[in-house]
Formats: sequence, C-alpha cells, structure tokens
Amino acid sequence: MRVRSLDDLKAIAQRALEKLCGRRIRIAVGLATCGIATGAEEVYSAFLKGIESLKRDILLTKVGCIGYCREEPIVNVVIPGKALLLLSRVRPEDASEILKNLIDGDVPREKIVCRVKEWDHLLEKIHYGDGFTDVSLYEDTPFFKHQRKIVLRNAGIINPEDIEEYIAVGGYRSLYKALTEMTPEMVIEEVKRSGLRGRGGAGFPTGLKWEITAKSESDERYIICNADEGDPGAYMNRNEMESDPHSLIEGMIIGGYAIGAKEGIIYVRAEYPLAISRLQIAIEQSRRYGLLGENIFGTDFSFDIRIVKGAGAFVCGEETAMIASIEGETGRPRPRPPFPAEKGLWGKPTNINNVETWCNIPVIVYKGGEWFSKIGTKNNTGTKVFSLVGEVQRVGLVEVPLGTSLKRIVYDIGNGCPDGLKVKAVQIGGPSGGCIPEGLLDIPVDYESLKEVGSIMGSGGMVVMSERTSMVETAAFFVSFTSEESCGKCAPCREGLKQMLNILNKILMGKGSPSDLELLKELSETIKTTSLCGLGQTAPNPVLTTIKYFKEEYEELIKRYD
Amino acid sequence: MISLRIDGRLIKAEEGERVLQIAIREGIDIPHLCYHEAFEEPYGSCRLCIVELKEGGSSRITTSCTLMAREGMEIKTDTPEVIKHRKLLLELYLAQAPLSNNIKKLAERYGIKGTRFHKTLNLEDPLGGKCILCGLCIRACREIIKASAIGYIGRGEATRINTPFLEENPDCIGCGSCANICPTEAISFEDRDKRRIMRSWSNTQVNLKICKLCGHPFTPEPLWLKVKEKSTYTPSEEIEEVCPNCRIKIVSKRLVKPYSL
Ligand SMILES: Cc1cc2nc3c(=O)[nH]c(=O)nc-3n(C[C@H](O)[C@H](O)[C@H](O)COP(=O)(O)O)c2cc1C
Ligand code: SF4
Ligand code: FES
Repeated sequence: MRVRSLDDLKAIAQRALEKLCGRRIRIAVGLATCGIATGAEEVYSAFLKGIESLKRDILLTKVGCIGYCREEPIVNVVIPGKALLLLSRVRPEDASEILKNLIDGDVPREKIVCRVKEWDHLLEKIHYGDGFTDVSLYEDTPFFKHQRKIVLRNAGIINPEDIEEYIAVGGYRSLYKALTEMTPEMVIEEVKRSGLRGRGGAGFPTGLKWEITAKSESDERYIICNADEGDPGAYMNRNEMESDPHSLIEGMIIGGYAIGAKEGIIYVRAEYPLAISRLQIAIEQSRRYGLLGENIFGTDFSFDIRIVKGAGAFVCGEETAMIASIEGETGRPRPRPPFPAEKGLWGKPTNINNVETWCNIPVIVYKGGEWFSKIGTKNNTGTKVFSLVGEVQRVGLVEVPLGTSLKRIVYDIGNGCPDGLKVKAVQIGGPSGGCIPEGLLDIPVDYESLKEVGSIMGSGGMVVMSERTSMVETAAFFVSFTSEESCGKCAPCREGLKQMLNILNKILMGKGSPSDLELLKELSETIKTTSLCGLGQTAPNPVLTTIKYFKEEYEELIKRYD
Repeated sequence: MISLRIDGRLIKAEEGERVLQIAIREGIDIPHLCYHEAFEEPYGSCRLCIVELKEGGSSRITTSCTLMAREGMEIKTDTPEVIKHRKLLLELYLAQAPLSNNIKKLAERYGIKGTRFHKTLNLEDPLGGKCILCGLCIRACREIIKASAIGYIGRGEATRINTPFLEENPDCIGCGSCANICPTEAISFEDRDKRRIMRSWSNTQVNLKICKLCGHPFTPEPLWLKVKEKSTYTPSEEIEEVCPNCRIKIVSKRLVKPYSL
C-alpha cells in the first residue's frame, strides 16, 4: 500500500503494534552479526521447531542487537500484559524449556538479564506492563544504567526487516512532518539548532554542512551516507544498519529534502553482507509504501537511494576518496578545497554524513533541535555510540550522552578489565586515535577534550588495555595498519609511516637509540602537518601519545641496547 | 583582481588563482615536484610546496599548489616551521630515491647531505631508487596523451608505477612524455633498430616510423598516427612520411628555388 497521509501511517502503526505487544507471546531473537556469530540462528531454528510442535500461536521474530554483546545470543520475550524480558546466552537446547515456561506465564529465572516495563522509542513509547517484580529493571542494570539511547532507540526491540514495526514505534512520522509542515530551510534550521556534529570523526556541525551544500549553486545535488566503517574493532555503524535500517533511510530522505537532492547513495563496506541485505529489504519496503521514490507522501518531492559497495580500502572512508571510488576511480583522496559541499560527486555539490549522523535526524526533526541540544554538553550535544572492546569485562555497544566521563564508560558500564587486572590505557578513535592513560580517564568524552589529550573521537572505537599491554607494541600495531592502508599518494603518509614503523620495530627488537625517540617525534610532526588527508594527519597519534604518556616503556627498550 | 602578500611583497592576482602559480610567475622560489603547468588541476602529492598561510587571526601550513588566492592572504614561503618540514620531507625522499641526482641537488640546497632514514632500494622496480611517486607521468599519459598506458600498482608503502600486471602494454604509443615530465629522471627508454623499447614500462615495444627518403626511423609509429589523426594541418604528400632532417632539406630547397630560377 502507498502511504499518503498521517492517518495511513497511524493505521499501519496500530496494526503493527499488535506484533510488538499484542495478544500473543512474542519471542525475538537477536540476529545481528554479533548474535549470529555466537549461534543465534540455531537458537532461532530451535524456537521455530519448538513452536511448530507445540502448535501454539506464538510470534517468533528476529531483532537486531541491543548492544550487550558479551551476553549473546540475546532473546527478548513478551508475555501479553507483562514486562519485556531480556534473556542472555540462550542456547538452542534452552528453547523447549523457555517455551514451556512461557506458556505457563513464566520464564526460567537464571536466563533473565533484566525486565523492561516501558520502552521509550522517543517518537512513541511502548508500555509492556508489570510482572516479574523480583527481576531487576533495565534502568537499574549496570550495563544499561548509564546509557541513553537515541540512535539505538529501536535496536534489539523491533524487527529490522519489517517496515511496519518501525512505523509502529513512530517511524516515518518525522518525514511526514518535514514534508508537510516544514520548508527545507526550516529543517536545516532545526538541525543547526540541535548542535549535532558529524559522527564520522571530525565533528563538523551537520546543519552548517547541509546549509553550505544546499546553497551551492547547481542544478543537481547528491547526498551520501558514509557506511565504510573501516576502523578495526569498530562496529557501531554495522549494528545501526543491521538493527534499524529505516532510521538511516528516513534520516537520508529528510536530508535529501532539506538539501535539495534527488538521489542518495549509501557507500557501505562490502564486508557487511547482512547490513547490505537489510538495507536492500528496507529500501524495497519503503519504495513499496510510497515513502521512497516518486512523490513521497503524495507530495511533489521525489527521492531515491541506492547502495554502492565499498572497494575494501580503509582510505575509501575519507570523503574525497569515497567520491572517487563511487565515480569508478581508484579510491585516492583529492585535494580540498574544493570541498564536496561545493564540488563533490560528478562535480556536483554533495553532502556526506556518517550513518550515525543520519540516524539522529528523525529524532531531531520530531522532537526539535532544542530538545536534542539539552542532551550532552553545550558544544557536544546528543549521544555517541562506542564499541567498547579489548580487555574489558562487559564488551558491547554503548550509547552515552557526550560529555560522559571515560571512567564511567570503562568502569561503571564496562566493569574494568577481567581477571583482576588493572586498566592501563584506553585507545579511542580507531587506528589514528591516541592512547589515554588510566590517570586521565576523568576527562569527558567530547571532541575537544579528546583532542586536548592527543586523541580523536574518530567514529567511536574504544579499546581497553590492561597492565599487561606493551604500549610500544600497541603503537607499532596501529602504525602498521595505517601504513598498509595509506593510499600511497602523498609522500609524508606513505614514506613517513613506513619509516616510522621501521624505527618502532628497531626499538622493539632492542636496537633503538635515544636519538630514535627524537626522530620519531620529528617525523610525527611532519606527517601530521603535511599529509594530504586525514589518514596521514592523524596516523602519528598512537606514537605521540604513547611517547607522551608511556615514555619509560620506550626508554626501557632502548636502554637494553646500551 | 585581488591582492595578497607573499613574503611581504604585495602581489596582484586573479581570484582563485593558485598561490604556487602566482609565485612561479613572480619569480618566488617554492620547491615543487608534482606541480606542472600542463595540468589545470593540482595533484598535491609531493607536499614540498608547503607555505605558511596567515588569514584572519590564525596561521597554518598548507600546500601552495592547491591553495586558491583570496584577498588579503598573507603567505610566507620560508618560515622556520616550513623549512623544518620541508627538510624532513627531503630526508624521506633521499631515503626513497637515493639514486636521483635531482633529489640530491634539491636536498643540498637545504643543506641536507644525508638522511637519517633507512634507504630502500627495490631492485625489481625499474624505477626503484629514483621515482618519488609524484604521479606526473601517469597524469601526462592519461590526461594529455590520453593513452592511460601506466598507472599505480599496489597501495601504501608498496605503491609503484608501471603498466597493468607488469605486462607489455599496447596502449603505450612510445611518445616519451612520461620521461620528459619526470622530475627525477627515473624513466628510461631506448631506440634500437626499428623499435622503441620502454625500459621502465615492462619493456613495452613500439614500432618506429621509417623515413621514406633516408630510411632512418624517426618517431614512434603510433605517435605519428595519433598526431596525423588529431592535427588539422595536412602536410603535402611530399613531406608526409619524411623525417625532420629530410623535411628541412625539402623545405629549404623549395625556399631557395625562386632565386635559382
Ligand atoms: C582515512 C579516513 C577514513 C575515514 N573513514 C570514515 C568511515 O569509515 N566512516 C565515516 O563516517 N567517516 C570516515 N571518515 C571521515 C569522512 O571523511 C567524513 O569526514 C565523514 O564521513 C563526514 O561525515 P560526518 O560529518 O557525519 O561525520 C574517514 C576519514 C579519513 C581521513
Ligand atoms: S595522507 Fe595518506 S592516505 Fe591520505 S592522501 Fe596522503 S598517502 Fe593517501
Ligand atoms: S607541488 Fe604542491 S604538493 Fe607537490
């Protein structure tokens, strides 16, 4: 059916709400890549078999990931009228026991992580109900307690392959609002008011970028979603696409309207087949519902989205290299200016935003920029999703208001290192990030504070390292990554990183001299200052921060040679 | 017209003109390896053309070949900061291209005799020890000659330049523009018998055109064909397949004719 009015949307929402919390028992298996890796597909099949043999009208469905990756496979269950329960580490052989309990209105206690009485999808709230009062509430669970879900508001709760469930939790209402109540300028104004900054790394104000692109003289404009997520260990964007693809699509359609583009491109890593297939399904569905394509909502605004698979190079995440890659060239960065906002894809004004940036848009349009700007801190509004990995007990995807302290994330949410080890440092910002020593973990995560200590926000990778970690090895590891991934076009990045790795390896083999440390610093400064693109400009960060905060480890290795 | 200052000198320029171009026109020396006037767009790979730009209250270091002139800009081409980075870049180049005399000379101009970095010499790469991967040869071949016979192979520190799959490439017309434009003289070819052998490009062989008068080879045949096809000037049949030497003889004979009548 083609949706033409708000009433149409509401009718669908009403119908789909029945699936989320209706008269049937609902079993939802977390089937994002992380869940699948721990056997969630087998769990799903086991439930399917169990339900068939019971011949009961139970709704079995798939959802994305709620972020608590350590506890996968995660299954959530709803008994009509009662709280939603999150079950952890469910194995196929648990299915029959769980089913038996559910039919009796119960759940095996040892599997329960927490209960959800009410879920705030921000555009809509879902009341599940009471019951299981002996089980701790979601908002009291240490892993979730300090989180605030805006981008991941639907992740792990709704079925990402069903547009109707997205509509049930308020989906596409922001688009309706933008198209029928707002001019493009008003949308841009709202995004500016929100204070939203790009989540792809540099933190450029999103509203301002939209405005520049919208005002660039041209007959055609493009928008691009950067889903090339290349940082090792980072999977925020993957989860956002796998768990709630419509959020991204709705954000892009609104962006297309505001900026005056008719076509949007999602440039996504080829290594993300599940994300690609869910996006394809979502695009197909929104076209069928008249929310994408010609005359959206029956207005004269038309917009479509296509997917381009990445070329498999880290540097293709850099915007000008990405544009070259979409145009069929090798992914090598081009000098800026001209910036893509003036002269981008096929020479036309182009606006590029990260997946997470786009996912914030529907919320901002619906709740207002003012509302959004109150979350986080003054110049760092909203939330940021981090992938908390490495030597940390509660590995997972966490979404916190910007300005939350690193301590809170590493200790309160992540529960520190396993095996009683002490935290030594946290590496933030991907391969070009810096290593922040334990003593500085009081700092708030925001763009400026991270920069001050020599790191960057990057796209949200956060690697916890214990006292066992060698910082010189860590630096060498990241430099070998960036050196290999350098496109090879500009000399400081290509030659400089190669030489940097040479020196680091020399030191690691115990053959370094004190002058090597000086040379490393000099080299770092030149690579940072003179490289063509962000890769080279940030790649020395791991070396500079480890020399700054862990100099004694270098000296120790060098002394051995003397 | 706008005006800007380079090293204190007030200079008039067109809005949007690139600073390196202005400097070259004004005789101000900024070292550069990947810029060439033949191309409209800058490439920005060698990074030697860095300068310090002062605008508004702040200053930053940027490449002058990519920098578009704006009213009131203040450029300094040789601050200690600029020189420091340039010198380090030259040290990197000395390690990458220890066999290039041009790089050596450039480094000497900055008082650099050696490099603190590990020298690399890839003997399997015919350009090894000389090429600094500025990209000019690839761009000349592709954008000017429109042959696209050579390109980058690999990425990162393993990047090199050659024909695809290191095989002889029939797209090469043997024009030698690549060798001509190379700032480090890394590219070599030789003419042997009736063929041009592109030593650097996987020994790609190109037939040479033979002068119908003296019988000597004088230019790569595909180049000759390309020029013939593109040119609006049609030479008389008498001089068409004739080498420059013999052409001069014919033309001069023609010119002296009236007097000898
Ligand atoms: C080497 C390199 C890799 C990058 N990789 C990504 C990436 O994977 N995803 C991303 O969104 N931005 C990446 N960026 C940043 C983009 O160039 C660009 O700034 C960003 O997509 C803009 O979106 P935003 O304003 O929403 O942050 C990368 C930048 C560099 C220099
Ligand atoms: S900084 Fe590195 S990745 Fe960027 S253009 Fe230069 S060589 Fe390529
Ligand atoms: S001349 Fe400017 S970077 Fe090479």
